[in-house]
Amino acid sequence: MASLLTSCYETFTPDIDTTPVLCINSLITAGKSIDVRVSRTWLYTDDSTTDHSVDDAEIFIYVNGALESPDYIPREGDTIKVIAQSNTYGSAEAEVCVPYFVPAKSLKSNPVLINSWRTENDDSTETISVDFNLHVDMEIADPASTENYYQLSILGYNKSSDYTDNFGASPNLPEISFNFGSLKYEAEPIFTEHIDVFESIMGNADGSGFTFFTDRQFSGKTYTLHLVFENGSYFLRTDKSDPEMFDCGLILTLHSISKSYYNWINYLWHRDEGLIGELGDVGFGDPMWGYSNVSTGAGIVAARSYATYTVSLNDFMTSAVADASK
Amino acid sequence: MRQIVLILMIFCLSTSVKAQNVTIHAVNQPAATVFRSIVEQTGKNFIYSSEILKDVTVTVSVRNKPLKKALSEMFKNTGIQYSFKGNNIILKRKRGGIKALSNKMTMQPQIDDAKLKTMALDEVVVQSRLEDPAVETAEIGAMKLTSDRIRNTPSLFGENDVIKALHLHPGVTEGIESLAGMYVHGGNADENLYMLDNIPIYQANHFAGLFSAFNTEAIRYIDFFKSSIPAKYDGRLSSFIDVRTKNGSTDGHHGSAKLGLTSGGFNISGPIKSKTTYMFGLRRSWYDLLTIPVIALVNSKNDDEKIRFRYHFMDLNAKVKHRFSNRTSGFVSVYFGDDMLKSGTKDKYTVANGWYEDEKFDLHWGNLIVQTGVNYRIDPQTTSEFTAAYTRFFSDLNHDDANQYYTDSGMTETRSINKTDNKINDWILRGDFDRQVNEFSRIRFGANYVRHSFLPSRATRNYTYDSINTFTRDSTQSYGADEVNAYIENDRQAGDHIRMNIGIHGSLFHIDGKTNYGIAPRLSVNYRPIDNVAVKAAYSRTTQYVHLLTQSYLALPTDQWIPIIGNQKPQTADKASIGGYWQSRDGKFSASVEGYYKYMRNLIDYRDEHYLHPPLETWNARLTTGHGTSKGIDLKIEKTVGKLTGHIAYSLAWADRTFKEKNDGKKFPARFDNRHTIKAMLNWTVNDRVQLNASWTGHSGNRFTLLPQVWEGGGFGGQFSYDDVPLKCPVNNYQLPFYHRLDLSCNVKNSHGFWTFSVYNAYCHMNTIGIKRGYKDIHEITPEGITYVSRPVFQKVRLLPVIPSISYTWLF
Repeated sequence: MASLLTSCYETFTPDIDTTPVLCINSLITAGKSIDVRVSRTWLYTDDSTTDHSVDDAEIFIYVNGALESPDYIPREGDTIKVIAQSNTYGSAEAEVCVPYFVPAKSLKSNPVLINSWRTENDDSTETISVDFNLHVDMEIADPASTENYYQLSILGYNKSSDYTDNFGASPNLPEISFNFGSLKYEAEPIFTEHIDVFESIMGNADGSGFTFFTDRQFSGKTYTLHLVFENGSYFLRTDKSDPEMFDCGLILTLHSISKSYYNWINYLWHRDEGLIGELGDVGFGDPMWGYSNVSTGAGIVAARSYATYTVSLNDFMTSAVADASK
Repeated sequence: MRQIVLILMIFCLSTSVKAQNVTIHAVNQPAATVFRSIVEQTGKNFIYSSEILKDVTVTVSVRNKPLKKALSEMFKNTGIQYSFKGNNIILKRKRGGIKALSNKMTMQPQIDDAKLKTMALDEVVVQSRLEDPAVETAEIGAMKLTSDRIRNTPSLFGENDVIKALHLHPGVTEGIESLAGMYVHGGNADENLYMLDNIPIYQANHFAGLFSAFNTEAIRYIDFFKSSIPAKYDGRLSSFIDVRTKNGSTDGHHGSAKLGLTSGGFNISGPIKSKTTYMFGLRRSWYDLLTIPVIALVNSKNDDEKIRFRYHFMDLNAKVKHRFSNRTSGFVSVYFGDDMLKSGTKDKYTVANGWYEDEKFDLHWGNLIVQTGVNYRIDPQTTSEFTAAYTRFFSDLNHDDANQYYTDSGMTETRSINKTDNKINDWILRGDFDRQVNEFSRIRFGANYVRHSFLPSRATRNYTYDSINTFTRDSTQSYGADEVNAYIENDRQAGDHIRMNIGIHGSLFHIDGKTNYGIAPRLSVNYRPIDNVAVKAAYSRTTQYVHLLTQSYLALPTDQWIPIIGNQKPQTADKASIGGYWQSRDGKFSASVEGYYKYMRNLIDYRDEHYLHPPLETWNARLTTGHGTSKGIDLKIEKTVGKLTGHIAYSLAWADRTFKEKNDGKKFPARFDNRHTIKAMLNWTVNDRVQLNASWTGHSGNRFTLLPQVWEGGGFGGQFSYDDVPLKCPVNNYQLPFYHRLDLSCNVKNSHGFWTFSVYNAYCHMNTIGIKRGYKDIHEITPEGITYVSRPVFQKVRLLPVIPSISYTWLF
C-alpha cells in the first residue's frame, strides 16, 4: 500500500488563478527595536526568483492605538499593530500584544556524576573527562486570568573561549569541550502536550527541540518543569590547571510568547511531524495552510518577553575533577 | 403534526370488506419465496410437503387480483394443485404425475395426504420490504440487494463487498478510490446507518476502508434506502443499510469454503434438531501469513534487529435459531469483526552490548454485536420481533518503547508507554410489529431504547526514566446517553392507482442533563396511471445524534464516534424527492428517474486550523457547526431478467457546505461534489458454468483544497523549515481530473464449486486522489555544464493500478 502511494506521482501545472498579496513577518521582543519584514506571496512553482521583498511597501506601527516612530522600543503590555501598504500588492495588517514576562519562582539543579577520570599524557598534559546527567527543576508561577504561552530556550556555556590562544605555554591549550547532554523530552510531558497520543503511537512523537508550551494545564497555578539531561560530558586537556576552567553550565531562557507565536510553531510541528500534514500531503486528508495572524493570511507578527537564568556546574565540575581517578 | 398523526390513525384503523386480493410480481423465483409474500399479504399459511417444491420456480405477475387467480397463474404447468382449508392453503401433486415444466422439475412419487408435512413457512420470517418492483412500491430510491448480486459485482482482490456493490448505483459516491467510504446524495460518510439484523454497527470497514465489515457469504439480503425513508429508520441523515444475515438451512448441512489471494472464508449452516438451525460464517485475511516469509527473510539478513509486522482482519457471524411453535421462534446471534496490526522492532543483541531496544506498536479495533430475539406471530395478520442487543465499537492503540543501556554507573532503563482507546457500548431493547390490516393496508410500528456509553478518547502516556516516572492522562470525558425511539407507518393501497406510505418517527436523546428530541415525519406516494408506470413523490426528515470525527477520508482506528453535547443541536435533514418509474410488461426492463433536494442542518466538521487546539481539550473546541444542501437527478435503466442483465445509471448532482468557522463562513463545495456520475454494470450468464461480470464507473473528480501560493516565514520557526508556507485559500477550490475505472470478473462453476477471476481497474487508469506539493529533480544544461536543481512542482497523487485476483469457493 505504501509503495503504491509513494510511487505514483505525476507532475502537472494546475489551471488556477492567483493574486499575490502582502506578507508581514515580525518577532517583536520587549526592550528591543522592532524589525518588520514585508514580502509578497508567490506561486509555489515559480522559482524564478528567491527575492520576494516588496520595494514600494510602507510600514506603520501603532502602539496602543497611536502611531509610533521607527525608533520605538516595545514594552510588555503594549498592543502593537503593524500595517504595511504597497501600491502593487495592497495592504496588510496584524496586531499583537507583547506579553509580560513570567519569572521563574525557583530553580534547582541536581547534577549526577556518572564517571570521571584523569589521564596523564606523554606531552606533559593531562586529560580530564567527566560524564554526568543533570536534573533541573524550574518552577513557574503562572499569572491567573490570562492565557499564557511559553518557550524555554537552553544554551550551554563554558569558559573555553576565554582561554583560546592566550593561556599557557601552548596556544592550543587548554582544550575544553562541554556538552550538557540531550534533554529527555518524554520526562517533561508539557513539551508534548500538542502531540496526540495516536501521533505518538504512529511514531510522530519526536518532540525534540520543541520546548513551547501553554498554561492550559496549570493556569494561574505553579508548575515545575522537570528537565532531565542525559549523557552530559565535560572534557579538558591542559598542562596547567585553573579553577576557572571548570566554570560551565546552562543558560535557561524562559520566554513569555504571544499566542500567534505559539500557534505558528504549533502549525510547523503539525506540518512537518504530525499525522494531519502527512495525510494532507497524499490526498487522504485536507491539506494544511500556514497559520497566520496577518489580514492577508500571509505572515506572522509575534511578540515575546523573557528572563534568563543560569545553572552553574562550576562546583560540581570542580568536585568531579578532584575525585577523578587516574 | 397532529394532522399527520390523525391521518395515520385513520389509515391504520380502516378495514376493508373486499375479497382478499394480492399483488405479486415474480419471474422464475423459488416458489417458497413467493409464498412468503402471499403469507404477508393474506395471513394465510401454506401446507405442503417439502419434496414437491424442491427446485420449483414460478412466474407470476398479478396486481391487486384475487388470491385464487394468483395461485392459479402461479401453479400453471407445475403439476401442483392447491386447495383451501380454513386459513390454510394445501398443496399437492396432481394425480397421474406431472408434466415437466422446466428442466429443474423432476418426477416425484405420489405423496399421500397422510405424509404431508405441515410447514408454516419459517413461521415469522423477517423479509425484505422491497420484494416488489420499484414501480409498485411507494418508496423512492430504495433497493434490495441479494448476496448473489453482491457476489456478481467485480471487486478489489475478489472480495465481494456490500458497500462497493452499492457504489454502483446512482446517488451513491464511493469517496476516495475504492476506500469504502460511502457518500449518499451529497451527505457525509457518517450519515449512513449500517445495521446488521436491525442493530447498528459503527465501524463498517476493514483495512482503512478497502473492505467492508460484512461477510457476503453470511448475508441473505440488504435493504437500502436513500431518498424516502420508512419511519422505522432514523438516526442518520442520508441512508440506511439494513443487512440481514442468513438463517440456518433446514434441509441438511450446507456451506462453502473460500480461498482467495488475500483472505479466506468458511460458512456452514444446517439443522441442529428438527426445530433448531445454526449458521456460522468466518472470514479472515491472510496478510499476516503472507508476510511471515517476507519478514523472516528480512530478519535473517538483518543482524541488528528483528522486525515485527502482522496484520489481519476477521469477521465472525454465528446464529442459532429455534422454532418454539408455529407462531414463535427465537434466535441468538453474534457478530465479531476486528482489525489487528502489530509492528515494531526488537534488537537482536542484548544489553550486554551496550544498548537494547524493544519497540512495539499494537493497534486493535473492531465491532462486537450480541443479540437475541423472538419472532412471534400474534395473530395471522400480525407479527412481531423483540430484540435485546449489545453493540460495541472499540479501538485500542498502544505504543511501548523500552530501552536499556549500560553506563559505567550501571544499567539505565527507560520505557515509554502511550495508549489510547476509544469505545462505544450500546445496550438496545427493541420491539417491532408488522400488521397486515387487510390486503390494502399494512402498518408497522415499534419502539426501542438504547443506552449509549461513549468514550471518544482516553489517552495515557507513561514515561519511566530511572526513578522518574511521569504519567499523564488527557482530560477527555466519557458520556452516557439514553435514546428512545418510536415509530409507526402505514403502507396503503388507496384506490386503484395510489399507494402511499405515511409514517412518523419520534426520538429522544438525553445526554449530560439535556434532552434533545426529534420528530421525523415521512411520506411517500406512488401514483400509477397505468400498471407499468408510476410517478412518486416523497418527503422525509431524518435526525442524527452521533457523528464521526475523522481527520482523513479513510476508515482509521482513530475515528471517533461522538454524541452531540453542550450547545450542539441534533443534525437534521429535510429531503424532498420525486421520481418516475417504468417497467416493461414482461418485467425484463425497468427505468427510473429520481430527483431530490436535501437541506441538512447542524452539521459538524472540524474548524479551520483545528489542530491548534491541543488533544487535552475536549473535542468540541475543534468543531464548528453549519449547514449543507444537496440536489440532483438520478437516472437508471435496468435489465433484470435473462442471460444478460445489468444497469446503466447517470447522476447529475450538487452538494455544498457552509460552516461558521470554516472557509471564513463562506459556502464551499463538498469534497465529493461530483457533478456527473456514470455507472454501468453488466452480468452475462454465458452458460450454466460461466458468468461474466463487468462494471464501469466514471465521475467528475472529487473536490480538493489546492494551495497554489506560498509565503516566506519570518525566520523564527525554531528547528523547523519555514520557507514556502502555503497561503490559505477557499476550501475545495480545485476539481481533480475525471475519475474512471473498469472492473471485470468471471465466475466459472465446476462440480464442487466455482472459481472467481477478477481484475480491478482493468485498463489500469490510476486515478488522482489528491495533489501534492513536492519537488522534482531536474537537470539543466548551462554554459557551465549540467546542473541538477530541485524545482517545486505540483504532483497528482495516483492510486491503485490494475489488480488481478483469483479465488476458489468450494460448495458443500
